[in-house]
Amino acid sequence: MKNYKFLSSLLSAVMAIGILGGCASSGQPETTSPQNPTDKKSEAAESAGEVNIYTARHYEVDEVLYDKFTEKTGIKVNVVKGKAEELIERMKREGEKTPADLFITVDGGVLNNAKQNDLLQPVESDVLNQQVPEQFRDVDNHWIGLSTRARVIAYAKDRIKPEQLSTYEDLASDQWKGKVLVRSSSSLYNQSLVASLIELNGEQQTQEWAQGIVNNMAREPEGGDRDQAKAIVAGLGDVAIMNTYYYGLMLNSKDPEEVKVAEQVALFFPNQETTGTHLNISGAGLSKYSKNKENAIKLIEYLTAPEAQAITASENFEFPVNPEAEKPEVIKSWGEFKAQDLDFAKLGDHNKTATEIMNKVGWK
Amino acid sequence: MYAKTILRNIKRNTNGWLVLSLIGAAVVLLPILSIFISVFQPPNENWQHIKQFLLMDYVLQSIWLVSFTGVFSVFIGVTLAWLVTAYQFPLKNFFRWALVLPLAIPPYIAAYTYSNMLSYTGIVQKTIREQFGITPNPHWFDVMSMEGAIFIFTMFLYPYVFMITKAFLEHQSASYIENARLLGRGSFTIFFRIVLPLSRPAIIGSLMLVIFEVLSDYGVTSYYGVQTISTAIFSTWFGMYDVESAVRLAAWLMCGVIGLFLLERILRRNRRFNASTSKARPLVPQRLYGVKAVLALLFCLVVLSLSFIIPILQLIVWATWSYQDVLTSDFVQLTLNTLSVALIATVLIMTCSLIVANVCRIQSNSFANLLSRLITAGYSLPGAIIAIGVLNLFIGSDHLLDRLYEQMGWGETPFMLSMTIVMIIVGYVVRFMATGYNAVEAGFDKMGTTYMNASRLLGYGITRTFIKVDLPLLKGALLSGAILTFVEIIKELPLALLLRPFNFETLATKTYQYASDERIFEASIPSLFIIAVSILSVLVFHRLGEK
Repeated sequence: MKNYKFLSSLLSAVMAIGILGGCASSGQPETTSPQNPTDKKSEAAESAGEVNIYTARHYEVDEVLYDKFTEKTGIKVNVVKGKAEELIERMKREGEKTPADLFITVDGGVLNNAKQNDLLQPVESDVLNQQVPEQFRDVDNHWIGLSTRARVIAYAKDRIKPEQLSTYEDLASDQWKGKVLVRSSSSLYNQSLVASLIELNGEQQTQEWAQGIVNNMAREPEGGDRDQAKAIVAGLGDVAIMNTYYYGLMLNSKDPEEVKVAEQVALFFPNQETTGTHLNISGAGLSKYSKNKENAIKLIEYLTAPEAQAITASENFEFPVNPEAEKPEVIKSWGEFKAQDLDFAKLGDHNKTATEIMNKVGWK
Repeated sequence: MYAKTILRNIKRNTNGWLVLSLIGAAVVLLPILSIFISVFQPPNENWQHIKQFLLMDYVLQSIWLVSFTGVFSVFIGVTLAWLVTAYQFPLKNFFRWALVLPLAIPPYIAAYTYSNMLSYTGIVQKTIREQFGITPNPHWFDVMSMEGAIFIFTMFLYPYVFMITKAFLEHQSASYIENARLLGRGSFTIFFRIVLPLSRPAIIGSLMLVIFEVLSDYGVTSYYGVQTISTAIFSTWFGMYDVESAVRLAAWLMCGVIGLFLLERILRRNRRFNASTSKARPLVPQRLYGVKAVLALLFCLVVLSLSFIIPILQLIVWATWSYQDVLTSDFVQLTLNTLSVALIATVLIMTCSLIVANVCRIQSNSFANLLSRLITAGYSLPGAIIAIGVLNLFIGSDHLLDRLYEQMGWGETPFMLSMTIVMIIVGYVVRFMATGYNAVEAGFDKMGTTYMNASRLLGYGITRTFIKVDLPLLKGALLSGAILTFVEIIKELPLALLLRPFNFETLATKTYQYASDERIFEASIPSLFIIAVSILSVLVFHRLGEK
């Protein structure tokens, strides 16, 4: 009895080793299937050009632009969409075998993270240098900005006068107790805002600020940016931290109720007298191991040309990086504003500290 | 003798499908083991921060969320299953299958739908404002909270419990219940003294699916601001850029879950639940009259409305607002993509489940037990973490392949395995092994080993017994496992996001594309497609099952 129990478990162990051993070779039989390699080869040889993108930017308008680009140049655009951090992880693990030519994402910090992970290389293009102002490009041109957005304060038109508002820092003061609405700390938008404040005001002061915001919260953070605007109109709070383009999207929403909400709140661009409004950027980085470098650069050039820039702005209400581009009415109505004068890379440098600070002060 | 059987068995099958299946099991196990191993690696400095500020709170909240969701979904699922099997009341035959439908709705879509419906601009508050002229306190409708998350998970996951328990009650419990009825026991006594204890394996098996699903969820919890271990995993990864600690956290989560179910196994060990199937026949339902019938009808109707009818109607309304912009011929391709990967993965999962479960049954010792827990552990892990494990496997095999080509002097490898559809399918297999495996295992459990032993005594080999005796008996379990798996895969998102090849979109990734940008109205179209495809497949399977 005892004996064969022992034996059978021994056998199972052997089998397990067999399983583990089997896997080592499992890659090979599957991969040597004959039709696949030839397929790929002929494909690569045939099409004069293609460009492979890993993108974390999911605008509908992006696809329209890729199609137009293909139409214009004959270069095929292949896309994998995903979350930025996950795509970075994929590129890291793929190493020099990565098929990605371009990495597109929202948030300067994440772009910088890709750069620091040694996934990108400098883009050399006079067209880009001329189309995209220097502050919207990486210092080494590892990535090029495509559009920007500001994180601003939305307020209830009927209860709050814009004179009462001044800075992000002020939102932590006692006069806003129980009135501040903001989404959770897992949002990259908040992480980058806090990161920018760390750069400007230092870690200690920023932690006090974050503590103040948590104390002033009208409710535990929940939902997205649009939900904060809705909460203002519902009377849960008076001011909300949100991105500019969500306001534009709400004003043009298909739901008449959302349009009503947007009409009852207004945007305030904070820190105009001091450090400037927090700006973030979406951009494209050139993969270090890009196999279609020229095509990739052509695509960035296309995306930052006035035509494509105007299309993105009109669909998504982000600010174009190319000053030549036509802007939609909503954006024009906000006028010019002073933005934080920061290297976007700093957002990435302080991201970890920002997350830690928010964890510490209990920003859910 | 026992050992000899196994030996003979291995000898007989080493060149056959068993080896292939072992390779299959390895493909499932490797990514999971590569995650598991991180438990033994030394922690980095972030681990301290996580332990200090996140872990305690997040673990407690996870336990809270899992316990309540578990209790409620068992309550709703078992009660409904009992109602539709033991009683006859109006619309009962409709509810028998309709109550499974909420499974077709991915919880993250349900979460978006409910929060929007109940938000300030949503239909509920708007109607109250405009029809009754009062502005209600918005706190009353605050679904984005722990309670809201429990509600969403309960309403959209109870069908697991319902479906599996119902199948069990319909086929297994007749003799016990009818005896009890004959002996004059009332409904309540029968329910608590007989039905509940008897269906324990079915309930536990389905509860396990619910718990796994809740623990691995990131969509609902992050949107509703509920802090679970899953949230902690992602705030470590995305907030601190620390994949190692994130994977480590996931590994601990997995250990906890496996431990929980091994414990359950041990507690259950000295009780036998194998009913001899020869006596199995359907339970004859009792007819309910008057108030009782109305109550039964109402209960079913309320659950079905909350978990299916209301959200679907809302999604359809939103779809009418946005279809001009969103609905294109691409959706044919999207649907085909979704269906084909789901189908391939489901077939692989069911095959693999059958074989591994059979091996584990034949030698039911603690190793087999652990093996079966391990290969199903993927279900408790967030999809993105599994994706990391799968990426490791594939990129590793690409490198191997590279070296092979180099040594053979064939030059560069012409393609990468990690850029093919194989990767996403393997991802699904690893993640959803549990839904298929648990069903098959429950089927085997139910059958016991009597038939197999008889067949073996009469001279059939394992393979032949398996095909001639076990498979036909397992048909029902296989079908229900396949439906669950298929529908799960259609709904799945995070894996698909990270593991897909170029230009490959599924319905779920399309939904994500809109939802991630808070474009819920546009997201309603692909959501409805997912739901429609799931419902159709549920119905098709249902038909097959009836035959």
